[in-house]
This record gives sequence, structure tokens and C-alpha cells, in this order.
Amino acid sequence: MSVHPAAHFDEKPGRQVELDVATQDCMIHMGPQHPATHGVMRVLLKADGEILAGAQTHLGYLHRCAEKIGESVDWLQYLPYTDRYDYLAAMNNNLGYSLAVESLLGAEVPERAQYLRVIVAELNRIASHLFAVGTYGLDLGAFTPLFTALRDREEVLELFEKICGARLTYSYIRPGGVMNDAPEGWMATVGEFLNRLEESWHEYWTLIAENKIFIERTANIGVLSAEQAQAWGCSGPMLRGSGVDWDLRRDQPYLIYDRLEFDVIKGVGYRGTLGDCFDRTFVRMFEMVESVRIVRQCLEQIPDGEIMHEEVGAVIRPAPGESYVAIENPRGELGHYCVSDGTKIATRVRVRSPSFCNMSVAEHLMPGSMLGDAAAIIGSVDIVVGETDR
Amino acid sequence: MPLIAPEGETKELVRRAKEEDADPVWRGDAFILLRDLAQLPEVMTHCRDQLGYSLLYDVTAVDLSSDDADLKLVYGLRNLKTKARLVVQARVAKEATQVPSVSFIYPAADWHEREAAEMYGITYVGHPDLRKLLLPDDWDGFPLRKDYEYPDEYHGVSCT
Repeated sequence: MSVHPAAHFDEKPGRQVELDVATQDCMIHMGPQHPATHGVMRVLLKADGEILAGAQTHLGYLHRCAEKIGESVDWLQYLPYTDRYDYLAAMNNNLGYSLAVESLLGAEVPERAQYLRVIVAELNRIASHLFAVGTYGLDLGAFTPLFTALRDREEVLELFEKICGARLTYSYIRPGGVMNDAPEGWMATVGEFLNRLEESWHEYWTLIAENKIFIERTANIGVLSAEQAQAWGCSGPMLRGSGVDWDLRRDQPYLIYDRLEFDVIKGVGYRGTLGDCFDRTFVRMFEMVESVRIVRQCLEQIPDGEIMHEEVGAVIRPAPGESYVAIENPRGELGHYCVSDGTKIATRVRVRSPSFCNMSVAEHLMPGSMLGDAAAIIGSVDIVVGETDR
Repeated sequence: MPLIAPEGETKELVRRAKEEDADPVWRGDAFILLRDLAQLPEVMTHCRDQLGYSLLYDVTAVDLSSDDADLKLVYGLRNLKTKARLVVQARVAKEATQVPSVSFIYPAADWHEREAAEMYGITYVGHPDLRKLLLPDDWDGFPLRKDYEYPDEYHGVSCT
């Protein structure tokens, strides 16, 4: 056994104890390839023993110049790029961008298309939250939630495949309306899926909220106060998990959300402190229930009619001006700030992505918690690195 | 999108700003166009403390054209109680891009300013840590400026 020359040993026989233990902060790189970073991102952790003394996030590994591309392709050509920043909620990205372009055009989308948009956006929210909760379990060492969540998410993806042919990157919602109408029997299939989901939701809830290990790993961990959440520009489940009553679907309604009944879910400190990691998961779990409610109402109310605005063609030339349109993405406020100079190419397409802002606060939640909680805190933010980096 | 008019004092501020300059065509929101960039921290503090705009959702910049001598700065604020949105805009010369940082008023500006700094070459004075965020540390130039020239290669990787 080799011994470090600086170490001194107790001379009593039987037990050797290291007397001179010099401690120093240990720097640990979490990522860029790490299962709990949900993409390629690096967090530099400073650990004092088992306690985190600081954290620093390094982004950019997945930067694909989305905003620069937006300034070099046609308005409509940019649509497929929106799919790719948040690839778990691509319908919502299509929606956010389409609404921004439509607000520049001043185009009103046919009612049937609006309902179809809400249906697919909410189904996408369910799929995204299922994935978020499932992978969060995986981050914390629980395999079962992911498998059951992927089983149901698969059904959503099949529904999307039927309506637009793609499973992840849809480009289904486009400026002016939606790509095509729902095939025959699609609505009934959605209804059946919602019934099944409602049953299996209780299964997830038991796997998450009644699971002692999950509770111990998340309750009272990474507590984000309401003031802190607002100061750091958080949105979505991150903001609502801290008890702030804010949802763009209700507070700045777009599409036909003002005709629908749903509750805004807030964190309540269900298993610990208000605004902890558990509360954020709590919000995601119950938002799925609300999404089911919303889709059901849409299935009842959806009228017949056109699905595309007549005057929005393949080449779009919005009048000069600028517009910022924000929607409630599964992760929070997804804003598109578009500037047009009247040509067919945008002057500026700014993407205000929710994960970016939500992640900026995560490094401030870490100091003082245990090293193992770093994964719990990052996972609770539910980031998609494609969106933080764009 | 419904128009959400800000209340009380903001209305007055906005009205004054509009009378002074009806330049940008902003659809659906109230905005303040700042003449004097040095006032920015003061205005932002006022918005946060007096007007209740507790959330800064975005900080960015726009380069309207390569002929334009200025960059446009855009700050987006939200009041979660009145549901109002307020946009503060200002201009800064491309030659001298010194802008006071608002990250000590709204911590949310931290990363947004870092991003705008690397993309547009804006120097946010007072920002605690203005390292590059999305770009590699040794990246030359400011990609979102209209006069940006693409590099031929980056560490042996052809960019053409």
C-alpha cells in the first residue's frame, strides 16, 4: 500500500487513522456528456466534501445559430427550425412562431384550425410532461416511471404521426393555419387515449408522490422562492411551482383559450417547502390533468370549416414592423420577437426560450445542497438544451 | 392578441414617450423609447419598484441594417398583477456600444446580456461576468450584426 508522504499515522497499533487531513474544494465537471443534463451541457460544480459550494453553467454545446438562420431564410422556411429547438414540444414551437408571423401579417386563422392547434399543442404538453416526469425519475434512480411514461407518450406520438406524418419534428402548425385536417376517426382516437391516460395517470402519481425515495430526493431540495423566481425571469412550472399564479394561456389568452375552462396549477408545498423540486413535479403532474380537460372541451366544441387562411401563401412579406408574441410552452414562456422590413426575409427572429431563463437560476439554487442533489435540481428545471442554446 | 394597456403612471410615461417619438411600429404593447441611455438603470428601477414590473422576460438587441449606425436595444417587462407588458427600447451607436447593465436590478438580465454581448458586441457596463455564453471563447466577430463576415475556417474545420 503506498502512502502519501505528507500523511501522518497514529502510532497506536490496530487502527490507522489519518490525522492530517487537508481539505480543499473539489471541482467537478458534470457533463457535457451526463445522463442528467438532458442534452449536452456542462455544469462546473465546486464541492466542499459532499456539500456544494458553488456551480457554474456552461452552455453552447448545442448552439445551432437558430436566430442567425432566421435572418437568412424565408419566413416560412424558418418554420422547420423552430421544431428543433425544443424537440420535446415541437408543436408548441410551431405555434409560437406561427402566431408571431400572423400578428405581423394581421391574419386571423380559421376557427377549426385554432381548435386543431390547441388540441395538438395540449397533447404535446402531455407528452412533454410525461417525458419530463419520467426522465426526472430516471435522474433520481427510479427506472419504472420512465417506462410507463414512454408507453403513453408513444401513443401521443402515434396520434401526431397520423395527423402530420412526423413523430418529433412536425411543422404541422404553420403561419396561416395548420398543414392538413385530422384524418377520419382521429378525434375519436384522441378521446380514447385521454380516457386511458386518465387511468394511468394515477399509476404515475403513485410512482411519484407516494414513493418515499422520490419524496426524499425532491422535497425541500432546490427551494426557489416566489420573489427569486420572478427576479430571475422564470416561467412555466418553474414559476408556478413557487406559488406564483401566472399562466399565459389564461392571463394573455391566445387562440381560443379564453373559451376553455381550466385551472392554473400552482405549487403548494405538497411534500415539503413551497417551491422545492417536488412542487415543480407536482405542477407538471396536474397540468397533464388540465390538458386532458382542455382537449376534451376542444373535441366537443370544434367546428367544421377551413384550416388555412386563404391569403397566407408560400412566400410571406409582412408589412414593416415588429411584434413579440409569447405562448405557454410546456417549459414556460416561449416568445418570438420578430422584426420585418417588408421583404420575404426577416430582419430579426429573436427566440425567448423558457429553458434558458429557467436554467439561469439553477446554479443559484445549488450552493448549500448535497452533491447528489445537483442532478435533482437540474432535472426539476426540465430543460431541453436544444432550447437553451438554440 | 388582446391589447393590454398598462395602468396609471405607466400610461403617463408611455404617453410622454409616444409624443416624443413615434418611431418604431410596435404592435400590441406599450413601450418607452429612451432618449438617454444613462437613464436606463433609473427607469428600470422605477419600473420594478414603483410600477410593479416584477419580471424581466427578455433583453435583446436588433441590428436593423448594415447602413444603420445604431443598434436597437429591447427590454421586455411584465407586471404579473395587472398583466401589463412594457417594452423599453433604446438606441446605442455601433461605434461605442457601452450600455449600463441592468443585471443588478433584474438578475434575469444576466444571461440575456451575456448573449446580446457576444452576438452584437455590446459592452454591458457593470455586468459581473461578461464571458461568452453560447459561442466558443475564441470566436471572432459578432454574428448577429448585419455586417458580420463568416469565417473561412475554425480550428481546421472549413466553414464554407
